[in-house]
Amino acid sequence: MPASPPAAGRDDGLPKPWGTIIAFLLPALTLYVGFTAYPAIRTLWNSFHRVLPRREEFIGLANYVELARDDIFWRAVRNTIVWACTSPLIEVTVALLLALALYAKVPGARFFRVAWFTPVLMSYVVVGILWLWIYNNDWGPVNVAMRALGLGAWTRPWLGDPATALPSLIFVTSWMWVGFNMVVLLAALHSLPKEVIEAAELDNCGWGGKLVFVILPLVRATLLNLIVLSFIGKMKIFDLVFITTKGNPLWATETVSTYVYKRAFEWTTFDLGYASTVATVWFVIVLATVLTLTWAFRQREKLEY
Amino acid sequence: MAVVTIDKLTKVYDRGHAPAADNVSLDIADGEFMVLLGPSGCGKTTTLRMVAGLESITSGTVSIDGRVVNQVPAKDRDIAMVFQSYALYPHMSVKDNLAFGLKRRSVERAEIERRVANVAGILGLAEFLSRKPHALSGGQRQRVALGRAIVRDPKVFLFDEPLSNLDAALRVSTRGEISALHRRLGATMIYVTHDQVEAMTMGTRICIMNGGRVAQVGPPLDVYRRPANTFVASFLGNPPMTLLAAVATDRSGGRCLKVGDSEIELPPGRCPPLRPGSQVTFGIRPEHVAQSAAANGAMIPVEAEIVRVEPLGAETIVIARLPGVEKLVFARLPGDAAFAMGERRQLFLDCGMAHVFDGDGGALGAGDT
Amino acid sequence: MAIVRRSLLLIALALYTSFAAGPFVWAAMMSLRTTTEIHRNHFAFPNPAHWDKFSDAWFKSNYAVYFANSVQVVVVAVLILTVVGAMAAHCLARYKFRFNRVIYFILFSTIIFPPQITIISLFQILVQYGLYNSKLGLTLVYVAIQLPLTIYILESFFARIPADLFDAARMDGYSDWEIFWRVALPIALPAVATTVILNFILLWNEFLYAVVLITEEANRTLPLGIQRFLGDTQEDVGMIATGLMIAIIPVIVVYAFFSERLIQGMTAGAVK
Ligand SMILES: Nc1ncnc2c1ncn2[C@@H]1O[C@H](COP(=O)(O)OP(=O)(O)O)[C@@H](O)[C@H]1O
Ligand SMILES: [Mg+2]
Repeated sequence: MPASPPAAGRDDGLPKPWGTIIAFLLPALTLYVGFTAYPAIRTLWNSFHRVLPRREEFIGLANYVELARDDIFWRAVRNTIVWACTSPLIEVTVALLLALALYAKVPGARFFRVAWFTPVLMSYVVVGILWLWIYNNDWGPVNVAMRALGLGAWTRPWLGDPATALPSLIFVTSWMWVGFNMVVLLAALHSLPKEVIEAAELDNCGWGGKLVFVILPLVRATLLNLIVLSFIGKMKIFDLVFITTKGNPLWATETVSTYVYKRAFEWTTFDLGYASTVATVWFVIVLATVLTLTWAFRQREKLEY
Repeated sequence: MAVVTIDKLTKVYDRGHAPAADNVSLDIADGEFMVLLGPSGCGKTTTLRMVAGLESITSGTVSIDGRVVNQVPAKDRDIAMVFQSYALYPHMSVKDNLAFGLKRRSVERAEIERRVANVAGILGLAEFLSRKPHALSGGQRQRVALGRAIVRDPKVFLFDEPLSNLDAALRVSTRGEISALHRRLGATMIYVTHDQVEAMTMGTRICIMNGGRVAQVGPPLDVYRRPANTFVASFLGNPPMTLLAAVATDRSGGRCLKVGDSEIELPPGRCPPLRPGSQVTFGIRPEHVAQSAAANGAMIPVEAEIVRVEPLGAETIVIARLPGVEKLVFARLPGDAAFAMGERRQLFLDCGMAHVFDGDGGALGAGDT
Repeated sequence: MAIVRRSLLLIALALYTSFAAGPFVWAAMMSLRTTTEIHRNHFAFPNPAHWDKFSDAWFKSNYAVYFANSVQVVVVAVLILTVVGAMAAHCLARYKFRFNRVIYFILFSTIIFPPQITIISLFQILVQYGLYNSKLGLTLVYVAIQLPLTIYILESFFARIPADLFDAARMDGYSDWEIFWRVALPIALPAVATTVILNFILLWNEFLYAVVLITEEANRTLPLGIQRFLGDTQEDVGMIATGLMIAIIPVIVVYAFFSERLIQGMTAGAVK
């Protein structure tokens, strides 16, 4: 028998393996700090400075004051928000219709699902170029089809007309993302308990009734989640605009992302400070709206089948 | 060759909460099969995991063969554990599952092969060696889990409810296999369960736990026959011992209890003289309630109202109410006992086998069979 | 009646399919035709098919370089991401310690950050450390931007591995690193495969960071190359289409083999 227990009476068991924990987390945290946290803080710091290639100069809130009066910025904000608010609704609505169609046991459902998903696998660069051609004034399929249908008077350079440029691009993102939303919704539909839907059938619900009273409430969480995701995606939109219109015509398709890029790297002011201010303000706006949305859409009660 | 000594072992998970294990002390002799028995949440797993070295110890010590192992990592304690969920490596074949622990211990390749083949033979796993766990039945998985412990040839085996995921028939046969294994290997084993049948049939000794504390330790039948307190008395046995509130009267030298409207006189061996008026608990097991007075025993007749009759074939469980008592009395009677619900009739309590507990639930008197 | 309704539904679905996939088929057709042929009729089949356009693009228009750069950057980034992300995810899922959830939340919340908040400073930082305009710099940035999603997907998978399994491995004598490498990672292989494919696609298509951090022709990735080519030769529709196909084909190949896994990966964050 041991003469006496070890000296330390309390909490003398296994130490927390801090060494191991740190070793596992260190690479990720280093990358996070070096390439996400530090740059983000530096952007904030930049926003109070004029940042020229060889010189930095503190200018207080001057950038923010200028930003408040910057019409192009507010135009970009408006465009981006219009985009982020309309696109999710279009995507989710069309996706729901398609998902319901496949849910109704159509032959070849697997093929449709795989085929419709493809656009989202392509880069915005590829998609942008494809749609530049599709919207081409002279030979793009849109105008060609309209002329064939006798709607020649309505043809136009879709991306060149300030009235149609933004809606045309919104249409492209919806085209891209419908398949994605459809797949998620279809998975949600398939995970619904069959009994609940059958019970509704016994309660004399037709297709419409089942949809409105049973299916929609049950996939509500998924729908809202998709809307938030799509919203976040559109708030970041850059590549598509950059490839197709560069924000033209007349800032009709300018988004905050393209504006930041232009102010930082294309305008000959060479000042990174102002672009940083735009980025900072936009960061706050995005964070606030996304948090508000998630809060507004939060699941109030857990669903029990 | 291993003696496990647990001394005042305590585990507090969250400060301010009750300890999960509270001053647990237990000496486990070499080659003993010690069963930790208790209701769910009483701290059995916690105690076992501290012995294994998987859980830090808040205070107290665990020693193996006289050496305090509190600071020794699990892998160096020479202990093997069989988990409730089996914890087989799903991506490895049965053979690799068995060999995984040996590879780490620089056992030679040929020796590993030999041991794995040997264990597979003992457990009847030879034909499944190349299968993955998902292709095995529940019973086979259980055996692989056992085998993984056996190949290691450890000083101590730990089992955490290893049978609770098996169906009833398999549980009975595996119970027998583990007991046979214990006899064959002669190793020290600590076995956690909440199933009293497992505890009674397998244990050299059982340790009954309640709320993190040890309630009683002893050979199974001793604990059954001489429960140290009301918790043990009511936990062991099915149906459980009937426990009724009683008041000592001044008759029969302080060994006559008033239970409801009945007066029950106890033989000297079952109860010390009590101060008249003291509040105690009277306990009687179902098998000590009879439908007629036996020739030899000190049977006390009581008036009873039959509340429910459960004929089980070999025996009949009768549930009755004594006059003036809220709680029901269980009686285990022969299968041919003819009772009707609502009937009023006499039952006989074998007071030579009765138990008396004091106000705090501790057993009184040195009663014996 | 039911048959009519069913056929109408099928026709509608077929129409939607041609709408969703049509542009790619069109681009594929144009990639095998010369610009002159295309301008004669934009919607004709390639006849004859000019396969040599692919070798032209590959050798004469520098697509070989773009392609090699893309492969190099994406493969290295995905490798690092998988190991680093899995280590962090395993740690967060398995060990209980103070700040565990705080760290998880901080990492995870960056998913909603607009890239602008880091991109300007990343430009400055990479310039400072001589990583601007280098494949290494872009690779590290790619790892950083995909890390949150990778950790999120893997953590939720690792968290479902029963703790008993790790305890069993511990009693079998394995160290924490070996438990991660030989138990956790092999078991999580399906989830790891999902993140590998997802990261491959997303980084293969990445454009914004590339356009900011790479300017030199020799370091351009495919999306940059295509954009550059578009700028240089606006009118050469045929060659641009060939370039598009070079960028699309790897994605299509991966998709053909792993469509379910890829769909699963892309939608992993969306399904609740
Ligand atoms: N990791 C843990 N953290 C906090 N409390 C725990 C933990 N594990 C067990 N407990 C608590 O400790 C008590 C004993 O648990 P356990 O030893 O698992 O009981 P048993 O195995 O007897 O069912 C329970 O109240 C349980 O809730
Ligand atoms: Mg337990």
